[in-house]
Amino acid sequence: MLEIKIQKPLKGSVGEMHLDVDLSIEEHAFVALAGPSGSGKTTLLRILAGLETAQGSIYVSRAVWQEARTVLPPQKREIGFVFQEYALFNNMSVEENLLYVSKDQKLADELLEMTHLSALKERLPTTLSGGQKQRVSLCRAMMKRPKLLLMDEPLSALDPVMRTKLQQDILNLHKTFGTTTVMVSHDPSEIYRLAERVIVLEQGKIVNDGTPKEVLLKTQGSQKFSLVGEILEIIQADVIYIAVISIGQQIVEVVLDSDEALLFQVGEQVQISTKAFSPSISKLS
Amino acid sequence: MNRIQAQVTAIKSEQNITIVTFYAAEEVMRMMALELDSEIAVGTKVVLGVKATSITLAKGLMGEVSSSNQLEVYVDRIITGALLCSVRFTFAGVSLESVITKASAERMLLKEGDAVTALVKSSDLSILEVVPWT
Repeated sequence: MLEIKIQKPLKGSVGEMHLDVDLSIEEHAFVALAGPSGSGKTTLLRILAGLETAQGSIYVSRAVWQEARTVLPPQKREIGFVFQEYALFNNMSVEENLLYVSKDQKLADELLEMTHLSALKERLPTTLSGGQKQRVSLCRAMMKRPKLLLMDEPLSALDPVMRTKLQQDILNLHKTFGTTTVMVSHDPSEIYRLAERVIVLEQGKIVNDGTPKEVLLKTQGSQKFSLVGEILEIIQADVIYIAVISIGQQIVEVVLDSDEALLFQVGEQVQISTKAFSPSISKLS
Repeated sequence: MNRIQAQVTAIKSEQNITIVTFYAAEEVMRMMALELDSEIAVGTKVVLGVKATSITLAKGLMGEVSSSNQLEVYVDRIITGALLCSVRFTFAGVSLESVITKASAERMLLKEGDAVTALVKSSDLSILEVVPWT
């Protein structure tokens, strides 16, 4: 069990804010930290890692990581940290990068095997692709058999295909080593696939905490298919109206009745919803 | 979107599918849904929604029809366009609209004052909002 109770004043993007988090996380859990940028997610990870100071306490399975007078240095906290940028030693081979953390050859072999890097163990990081580099970072983070694995948007620099592959690696390592994992992520599909719990931070406070479905599924009443868009145009056609709406990179059309047409204006941000029964899906040609 | 005030009278769930029964102005209405929000229970007052294009109108309806919601109403007003027709009627104290093709309205010889049945499939009915207790 991870018990976190910390406070810290921060300079956020919109002026002063107060990071104030009171949170417990079950052992072996996979937790995603989400929320707008500048909400304190990375700071919280860094405080857990001991890279940043804060008021309060952190206990991990009854061991004290931080208390009024005790602050355990990062190297004494059984953690692994994976950053968005790979932070590898470029003058060392893949294998040496792992063994630098701990001289456990058997574990290094096992990790490289699990992540399909065995054939690349003699290579220097500069000769690897982004996805391969991030796999090495992940293996290196596991070399201390950490109790707590902290990841700060580990896959955000990778393309979607590579992301899905690494998500599987992350999940395998998390399960095999029984770590407790906390990952900062903005990607709903990644959170849905990996995490069993999502904590949403806003302005330094927890504003939502639940399963990915509870937190991420946007609903409007009983309508489970819900997206946010902007009205580009409302066209009168016969006795009905057609609203042209942009959603992300796409444009869609929605039929409105005459009462609805009066309620909305061009340029307005709106929620577009329908029942889960109505949309159909087909393969991309 | 047509809005109908209703109260939940029964909730039946099997795996992820739910059938919710409502009372709306003495009439029973039924909605097919996935999981419901936890705040929705028997007795909850809600606003139901149905799109004007999802309401079928029938005149002199005979035989069995699968639509769960069959509302007996009178036509208040018809606005005829080039191809479509907006038909307004009153149900549960509010004016609702059905949009049908002009050809259908002509075939039915539909006119103001006609008694019609407004049909809504349970999957086309949705809960728009929960009405707080006052």
